[in-house]
Amino acid sequence: MESNSVWIIIHRMRIPLLVIIITFAISILGLTLIPGQDDKGNPYYMTFFDAFYFVSYMATTIGFGEAPYTFTYPQRLWVSACIYLTVIGWFYGIGNIVALIQDKKLARELSIARFRSKVRKLGEPFIIVLGYNNVTKEIINRLSNEGIRTVVVDKDEEKVEEIELENFIPEVPAIAADTTKPHTLKLAGIHQKNCQGVVVLFEDDIKNAKIALMCKLLNKRIDIIVKSTTKENTEHLRNIGIRHIENPFKIISDRLYFEIAAPYIWLLEMWIFGHILRIRKREFLPKGKYIICGAGRMGKALAEGLERAGIEYVFVDINSEEYKQRKQSAIYGDGEDIKILLQAGITEASCIIAATKDDMINLTILSTAKKLNPAIYTIGRENALEDISIFKSARIDKIYILERILAKYTYNFIARPLANKFIRLIHQKDNRWAMNTVGKLSATIGQNPLLFEITITEESAYALTKELQKGTKITLEVLKRSRANWRKKNKILFLLYENQEGERRTTLLMPEDSIEVKVGCSLLIACDEEAKEDFEYIINNYYELYYVLTGQEQTVGLVGQLLPKSA
Amino acid sequence: MNIQKVISGFFFILAMTTNFGFFYGNPANIEYHSGYELFAAIVVNLIATILKLGDKTQLGSVLLATSLVADIQLVGAATVWALAVYVFGGLDLEATVAIISMSGGALLANIVSVLLFIGDTLKSKR
Repeated sequence: MESNSVWIIIHRMRIPLLVIIITFAISILGLTLIPGQDDKGNPYYMTFFDAFYFVSYMATTIGFGEAPYTFTYPQRLWVSACIYLTVIGWFYGIGNIVALIQDKKLARELSIARFRSKVRKLGEPFIIVLGYNNVTKEIINRLSNEGIRTVVVDKDEEKVEEIELENFIPEVPAIAADTTKPHTLKLAGIHQKNCQGVVVLFEDDIKNAKIALMCKLLNKRIDIIVKSTTKENTEHLRNIGIRHIENPFKIISDRLYFEIAAPYIWLLEMWIFGHILRIRKREFLPKGKYIICGAGRMGKALAEGLERAGIEYVFVDINSEEYKQRKQSAIYGDGEDIKILLQAGITEASCIIAATKDDMINLTILSTAKKLNPAIYTIGRENALEDISIFKSARIDKIYILERILAKYTYNFIARPLANKFIRLIHQKDNRWAMNTVGKLSATIGQNPLLFEITITEESAYALTKELQKGTKITLEVLKRSRANWRKKNKILFLLYENQEGERRTTLLMPEDSIEVKVGCSLLIACDEEAKEDFEYIINNYYELYYVLTGQEQTVGLVGQLLPKSA
Repeated sequence: MNIQKVISGFFFILAMTTNFGFFYGNPANIEYHSGYELFAAIVVNLIATILKLGDKTQLGSVLLATSLVADIQLVGAATVWALAVYVFGGLDLEATVAIISMSGGALLANIVSVLLFIGDTLKSKR
């Protein structure tokens, strides 16, 4: 009996049960002692069975009448006393049961027990997500599509109800509990073998660090994805051995830098996240003077990016909270504001970034700026995911949504580790390399290549693993061949090759065709729909693999041997 | 002195003694065994069971188990009695012996329960 709910029930039912037993006992005993009269007028004593039977239906107010014979007056006197005694005892018991059903403590214990059993029953690998909000909701959705299960803990009961109403498929077990307690993490299955990671993306850095440390201590093996927005905190997290630390401001800063200094690296990165493989005209950032409105963490991060790219910029310090307090309005752009913008040089600036925490202020900053300088390039920060449509219709050139960026990065880290590594590697390349790569990609596959990654194992690539285990040398070139004609190539490119042999890890960006495929190696692949289908056939189906290897049909069984061989 | 211990100890030992009172005597002759004694044994045993509920310790679980055994045997004895009298038309030797031996089994469970209870009390430093 490990569940607390059973104990709560037992504990609460003790007194009512005692009351029922004692009242029954007294009534039964009295009935057996009082003499009665049978139908012939002879004196008779009720047996224990008669008395038990009578009291049972009397106490429960079923009332079948006087049995086995009509009662005498002394008996009736006793019974009328018993009625009040037992019926009150009985109702007290029933009342207690009803109260128990409505008991909050019990309901909570029951929900914990349900949650625990759901988590235990998860057969697939799963991720624990702490806190439920727009970011984690998007992560959960994306992971669900990939077949990765999630478990959510949020301290807010309402949020948990929201998850239940959301009807995620497959189901996402959720519970309302204090996320900073080790007990909660254990409940969410952090010790389970199939628990792969914990996602900690709270606003508060200190809280994140605390939880991350706790997770690390509870289970060394799992991945911890934690948000950290300051350098000191990041350092601290690295020291305790956490590999994946997400700083949305750093990501933004890098993005802005690449967008200006190396747009093709930026394009490759954006393509990984689902952008089309082409830079639209309005996506090229101007290289003139920038105005950053809002000097918070976001503003500073953007400034850092601009500095790296060697772009001139000025800050216009707008603190959204203070602004709303002072002006009693969230609409930016009165006479005073315009003066400030003019002073900052809005008329000759080429780009303005509205990076405050308030969406309304951001919107109005940009519209005011456009009025003052119609040619200016506008970049806005969007905070709440809900009203994205307003921003879209406001004709802002570029929108940064921190939450969405965070969600995408987290998803990438969990579900597409190679793509994540690819982004890290291309950041070290230069624009020309990226431009060549983009050129190669669009020349072979087109402007909308599919991206997927695979690790060669018996499960994912049956035929290929078997063939490799036989000792056959297979190069990447073989995997590019078409199923229809082995001399022709499919529209497929390998972006990243990684192989771990003992201690040595080989990671190759854009591997050559002559690289040999090994069992256990991982590949990041760009291709079109048809090539993906071919690729999957070739690595899984022995006959297809044999054909692309040799150009001949494999013959099987008696029929195969009898038929003449043909090329 | 712990008033809770007094109450629970009282019922545990009373369960055993009433059980013994019913069991004692010629097992083949129902005249030596009072139905009231059996009734008392059942009621006291049920109360003892409830008092044992809710103790999460190892000892508490064993105590509860002994009590449940005693309950089943005593209720079984009463059921046999009622069946014999009302369904099979009279108490014969076989039924009598069955009733008494069942209460004997319950007595054994009760003795174990009391021994455990005393052992635990002796171990306690308060």
